[in-house]
Amino acid sequence: MIQRLAILWVLLDGSVLAVEFTQADRDWWAFQPVRQAAVPDAGGDWAINEIDHFIARRLAAQELSPATAADRRTLIRRVCLDLTGLPPAPEQIAEFLDDDSPDAYERLVDRLLDSPRYGEGQATFWLDLVRYADSDGYKSDHYRPEAWRYRDYVIRSFNTDKPYDRFVSEQLAGDEIDPGNRDALIATMFLRHWIYEYNQRDVETQWNDILADVTNVTGDVFLGMGLQCARCHDHKFDPILQRDYYRMKAFFAPLLPRDSMPVGTVPQRTEFFRQHKAWAAATGDIRKQLHAIEQLALLKNTTGEGFNKFIDKIKAMIRKRPQDRTAYERQIAELSERQFGVEPEKLPERLKGATREEWEQLRAELKTFEEQKPKPLPQVKFVVSDAGPVAPATRIPKKGDVVEPGFLSILDPGSARITPPRAALQSTGRRTALAQWITRPDNPLTSRVMVNRLWQQHFGRGLAANVSDFGKLGELPTHPELLDWLAARFVANDWSLKKMHRLMVTSATYRQAAANEQSERIDPANTWFARTAIQRLSAEQVRDGLLALSGELDLKSGGEGVVADKSNRRAIYRKVMRNNPDEVMHTFDMPDHISHMPQRNVTTTATQSLLLLNSEWTRKRAAALAKRLAKRHPGNAEAQITDAHELAFGQAPLPSQLNDALAFLDACGAANKPSGLAALTEYCHVLMNANAFLYVD
Amino acid sequence: MMNFEEQVTNDIFSRRELLLRGGAGFGALALSGLLARDNALAKAARPSFLQPHFAPRAKRVIFLFMEGGPSHIDLFDPKPLLNKLAGQRMPESFKRPITAMGETESPLLASPRTWKRHGQSGTWVSDWLPHTAGCVDDLAVIRSCWTNGINHSGGVCQMNTGQPLAGRPSLGSWVNYGLGTENENLPAFVVMTDTKSTPTNGPRNWSAGFMPAAYQGIRLNPGEEPFRHLNIPKGVTPQTHRRKLELLRRLNEQHRATREHQSELEARIRSYELAYRMQATAPEAVDLSRESEATKRLYGFGNQDTEPFGRCCLLARRMVERGVRFVQIYHGAGSKWDSHSKMEENHSRQCRQSDLPTAGLLKDLKSRGLLEETLVIWGGEFGRTPMSEKGDGRDHNPTGFTMWMAGGGVRGGQVIGATDELGLWATENRLHVHDLHATVLHLLGIHNLDLIYHYKGRPENPTINEGEAYTKITSG
Repeated sequence: MIQRLAILWVLLDGSVLAVEFTQADRDWWAFQPVRQAAVPDAGGDWAINEIDHFIARRLAAQELSPATAADRRTLIRRVCLDLTGLPPAPEQIAEFLDDDSPDAYERLVDRLLDSPRYGEGQATFWLDLVRYADSDGYKSDHYRPEAWRYRDYVIRSFNTDKPYDRFVSEQLAGDEIDPGNRDALIATMFLRHWIYEYNQRDVETQWNDILADVTNVTGDVFLGMGLQCARCHDHKFDPILQRDYYRMKAFFAPLLPRDSMPVGTVPQRTEFFRQHKAWAAATGDIRKQLHAIEQLALLKNTTGEGFNKFIDKIKAMIRKRPQDRTAYERQIAELSERQFGVEPEKLPERLKGATREEWEQLRAELKTFEEQKPKPLPQVKFVVSDAGPVAPATRIPKKGDVVEPGFLSILDPGSARITPPRAALQSTGRRTALAQWITRPDNPLTSRVMVNRLWQQHFGRGLAANVSDFGKLGELPTHPELLDWLAARFVANDWSLKKMHRLMVTSATYRQAAANEQSERIDPANTWFARTAIQRLSAEQVRDGLLALSGELDLKSGGEGVVADKSNRRAIYRKVMRNNPDEVMHTFDMPDHISHMPQRNVTTTATQSLLLLNSEWTRKRAAALAKRLAKRHPGNAEAQITDAHELAFGQAPLPSQLNDALAFLDACGAANKPSGLAALTEYCHVLMNANAFLYVD
Repeated sequence: MMNFEEQVTNDIFSRRELLLRGGAGFGALALSGLLARDNALAKAARPSFLQPHFAPRAKRVIFLFMEGGPSHIDLFDPKPLLNKLAGQRMPESFKRPITAMGETESPLLASPRTWKRHGQSGTWVSDWLPHTAGCVDDLAVIRSCWTNGINHSGGVCQMNTGQPLAGRPSLGSWVNYGLGTENENLPAFVVMTDTKSTPTNGPRNWSAGFMPAAYQGIRLNPGEEPFRHLNIPKGVTPQTHRRKLELLRRLNEQHRATREHQSELEARIRSYELAYRMQATAPEAVDLSRESEATKRLYGFGNQDTEPFGRCCLLARRMVERGVRFVQIYHGAGSKWDSHSKMEENHSRQCRQSDLPTAGLLKDLKSRGLLEETLVIWGGEFGRTPMSEKGDGRDHNPTGFTMWMAGGGVRGGQVIGATDELGLWATENRLHVHDLHATVLHLLGIHNLDLIYHYKGRPENPTINEGEAYTKITSG
């Protein structure tokens, strides 16, 4: 028999709406509280930390033994790439090999976590999740000159180990929770990464799509729940109601994109608000008259896409004075106003006769109040706020029901409790309520989703394999107790990401070799983690790795994005233009940054081989490496070959490889004039195509 | 829920299958990103790739994309009422759409064309397309197409991917994913443009969206290097190149010796062998010197108006002959069919460039027996309004426009659907882009809702859970 939990809503018209979830829905693992499981005693001498005991218990149950520990050279290459995205330099390798203290590896990990390269390496996966880009997408794909500040914010947050709950809250509601903190405002660019079409005359549809996109990405990134199915109907597989979709969307209903957002603490904003109100009251009549005169003239001569292409309904919204607009009218009018410009500087020539005189008189009058006007606060662009303290209604399409903000009913059927922030912020407080709910220590999704993402990074697949879908279409977690234990530890450690990384990469599980004949035979998918999965380098790692080994990598941090082909800075600092993806990055499966990407595709294609073999870009790297080697070891081919191997693979060449290399240099040298450097370039080019470079194990 | 044993078995199966499949995409040899995601629903969905769901009528597609929006009411869909009411506002009885340029109330613009019925079927075609008119008995002219995107970007995106918002795979990518290629040494999905201009949205139009990049369209460039990075770099002799590949093979074999269960490593080794074979194959595939003068004339070679598009069309024929699955050619790349003003001048030019090569392609395919299994599609992202813009142009019309299909099982000589008396809204047998895509897939033997790709745990299909194939297109 199926037990049912009925959820009742009393609608505004007094009718009662009942929704039922089955017992199976309520029992779904992802909705259960995180259990603080006891650490099993299963790992024996092999175990280094708690993770290993959980892993060892499942290995025993599957009659599998862990792989031997990876050798030090393999381990340092793996951990450097995992934590910083860069291969180890020969000097780093030597330092680690020479360190025979028992905690040499732990100290290596600490050095990597302290390095600025850590945040740069980690930012990649986050930017994939939030579909970060420096352009609008669509036809013109306009550049977004401010977006890079968000990328730097992410890198900074990772490098300073900002607690994850704070990191999440700033992105959802930085403008409400810390309005005087520029960084917290920049964080809200999370809510600006949607694709945008500057000349879309169907403004209301576009705005609706934007809010849906923001709702979807919030569910994907923080909750690991695909909400978008419920936009049109109750979710077919998961207990997510269409009503829930709109309850979640309602948190964003008052959203307003801002390109002149004041930065000010609550007291500063309050003082500004007070002064502004007084000035506005004193000048109300004057400004009203001015508006009537000016607007007529301004809208007659608009630049850009112009005013006349809009339908009447939108024209009416634009004509309204800003203070007379409802929140929704403000959203639509301001979005529409982005399509055209007005020319207030030309008013003196456009106004004639008596109107002109009246206008000038009014302007002069207004000027006398100038001193009462508050001094403007510093501003930040490309962020969000609310459109005002009153949110537009959120309706379920076709049904028309108005819904209040609320969470997934299966977890919390009531309406969200919302505390309006101070009046000076002119905000609803809705997004703060959402951020507080998402970051509650007992939210069963947030901490599980995040530690599972980190696990995927280090171990190749998540403990729950579908890292952004903890619903029924995803797979069950392979190690549910471990997942819960990690989630609880994450919260107990004040949501520290660095501590979680450290825990994972210092485990014996992580330190295993890739080879384990038994595991490869019985468990080819490596479900039980009895070895390390071989992984192809990501697009960023291929690019940065080639530049690092050629000695050309420019490690300058931060700032506006660069054009990938024209700069040797790390891939994270290149401009992400949605319609013009960089060739190397795109070929190696960098996602389009139009929608959320939780796990990159990893393809093996001839296109990649052709690019590495024949492109000018790779050839240049090979030439630079050859020059570097010739300089480091003039005239000594053996030393050049040994160094090249270490740079590219982190390993010394085998004797047979050394012989092959010497024979190759001889043969190429004889065939090509001038011999030396040209032959060495060809040799370096071969290494850059080798699996020992392209894969990490 | 699947138990773990089953899951592991599935994994082994899918890994092996992926490797065996080999030719999916441009020499895609391993797509390990698919592995984790395909499992959960793999059982529920029917085997979704590399075999049609039912017997196909078409094996290949050539999509002639008239980019910018050709005017259906000046080409295929005559409207006597339009000329009668020219200069007046549209009668109130016509529902007002939201248009790109807001021209809803502008005076109606007459079509000065001469219209005639052609062929045995008597299909109407205007004097702007005399050569296409000669092929009407092979065409199914669909007068009732409609779409949602009101701007070029959204419109072109939707005609390619099914929705105006970016992010989904292109139709060609879906076909590539579903059917693979018949020639491993050439891409399964090839894209050409008639000019150097980039089509609206750029490469995003033929991207694989959320699917692996191996399914994306590959641009074919006329000239010495048909596919990017195909040629050995200048300064490297073929001998050195071979020597490098040999050294690389040795390095990779040594690397693999201690990692024998890692199929990706083997796939990577094969990808270099495949690259080498492509270097040998592709130049022949694009070598037009083997074509006769008569054939070249058929495509409009020797005339600077018709040759650029004609060259693309001839290359398209060579591609489908060699097993390429999906060819898309942009005519007027960069919205050149867009005619907000000077309709007459614009469309005269666009038609002059494209009409003869289009007809040439149809005739050539037919005479070689290729048309039967090759579906040819003609159309743009939308049509144009009966209302005027800037006096002598027309605004975008997504609510009703014309496309045609030929070959690949389509019964020629028919007209499908209708627009209202002014050509503004599709009224009879309305076919949304999803329906058009479903129809294309149907002809290829694929049921649109059964071609599944799992993304973020969601079973995605090419027509976003909508779309119904117009199956009568084969019988009329």
